[in-house]
Amino acid sequence: MGVLDDKVAVVTGAARGIGRAVAEAYAGEGATVVVSDLDGESAARVADALGGGASSTACDVTDEEAVASLMDGAIERHGRLDVMVANAGVGRPRPLLEMDLEEWRSVTSVNLDGVFLCTRHAGRVMSAAGGGVIVNMCSITAFSGFPMLAHYAAAKAGVRSLTQTAAVELRDAGVRVNCVCPGFVGTDMVESSKPQFEEMLGLEDFDAAIEAKQGRYGTAEEVARLAVFLASERSAFSTGGAFTLDGGATASLL
Amino acid sequence: MEELEGRRALVTGGAQGLGRATAELLVARGARVMLADVDADAAEAAASEIGGEVAHAVRCDVTSAEEVAGAVEAAKEALGGLDTLVSNAGVEVAKPLVEHTEEEYDRLMAINVKGVWLGTKLATPALAESGRGAIVNMASVAGIGGAPLLGVYCASKAAVIQLTRVAAVELRDSGIRVNAVCPSFVGGDMVARMVEAFDDALPMSFDEAVAAKQARLGTAEEVAEMVAFLVSDDAAFVTGAHYVLDGGLTASGL
Repeated sequence: MGVLDDKVAVVTGAARGIGRAVAEAYAGEGATVVVSDLDGESAARVADALGGGASSTACDVTDEEAVASLMDGAIERHGRLDVMVANAGVGRPRPLLEMDLEEWRSVTSVNLDGVFLCTRHAGRVMSAAGGGVIVNMCSITAFSGFPMLAHYAAAKAGVRSLTQTAAVELRDAGVRVNCVCPGFVGTDMVESSKPQFEEMLGLEDFDAAIEAKQGRYGTAEEVARLAVFLASERSAFSTGGAFTLDGGATASLL
Repeated sequence: MEELEGRRALVTGGAQGLGRATAELLVARGARVMLADVDADAAEAAASEIGGEVAHAVRCDVTSAEEVAGAVEAAKEALGGLDTLVSNAGVEVAKPLVEHTEEEYDRLMAINVKGVWLGTKLATPALAESGRGAIVNMASVAGIGGAPLLGVYCASKAAVIQLTRVAAVELRDSGIRVNAVCPSFVGGDMVARMVEAFDDALPMSFDEAVAAKQARLGTAEEVAEMVAFLVSDDAAFVTGAHYVLDGGLTASGL
């Protein structure tokens, strides 16, 4: 018996990394998962591996029609939509002065516009059905600046704010909206960015800097456990919250 | 296996309210508990109701280093060690700042702040020895925003959040995680005692304010669920955080 038995959950960006771990944890807790990703083939493979009635949908979260049909499709296919995790995100470190508008928009369109569209359309469907839970993937960069991540951090601060407003607007409709704010997690996104951080920040060892700040890298599975808690009835009184898991990084000024 | 199988927890203020609800849930999830309370008879009664095999009681005034040390020792002896501390004991004074007496200020700060510091300080050796230490401090949304009539209480809960942050950073290498829980108004004796003062002081009734700001009162069981999550291995990367459950209260600027 799981804490998400009989729930239907859409997870975006679920072909790899944190999204995939969330999809796996949800399935393990009894949910039927709609695995969504820009990469539809990989999403289909993840859904096949999950079993338990999981399905997949290719979706570009910056495309409003695609997002609307992702949420409507979950209802058509599985009869309901209880949980939506807006996880899809991108990150490419770049110094501010070298960041042109195109680069800025390429990150903010996925990380903020995408979360807006997913929140809006999941909120629409859930409100009509009498309730639901939205979990937005945020970041500790929502709370402070981070070198090379002007676009990413600004988008995440936007996600944090959007989560608050959505929580307040959707409360009477029975929809809870929270965000998860991880520190650095050992994922492909972080791994592939390390050389750029090291070069541009003049760091010999990015891992050592992370360990000093947060003890170690988090794991995608740890983020997924928090996403399970927030999706479950166990967090029924939480809405509009930002839930950090960062090994203490944001607790310290130093 | 139960989620908290093998956990050995000391819960201050454990005889009633949030402390009692937390102890009950920890036990339901497989933990054993020591209820510490200034009201020794109530703690004994609660422990025997929860179950003599899994719940024990000790008198503890959290403002006394000697008594907190005694509670830690009693917990170690009865439970065979200690890996979890829930510093829940707390009191409120609900009146305008200028009407608080010096005695009220000193007593509130001693219980709500010094008590949390003493718990952290005196339980740390045992928690470190366990290799899986977890502390959860009972803070409040009153530690995040100001609330009329609760001036000193607000200051005390902000102090709890700060103690939580610093303890998390300092104790990370000892394998001890330290987090805080921030409920808004929760149904129980504390709120019942404050209703009249708020009815007199606010432009609307207390019930109307609760309905407008947080939709409903939280429940002690909901607070307990969040504590249970934070002490569990699911929250292994969570430290220095303060997790809010407030029905959207702090998310709204209106």
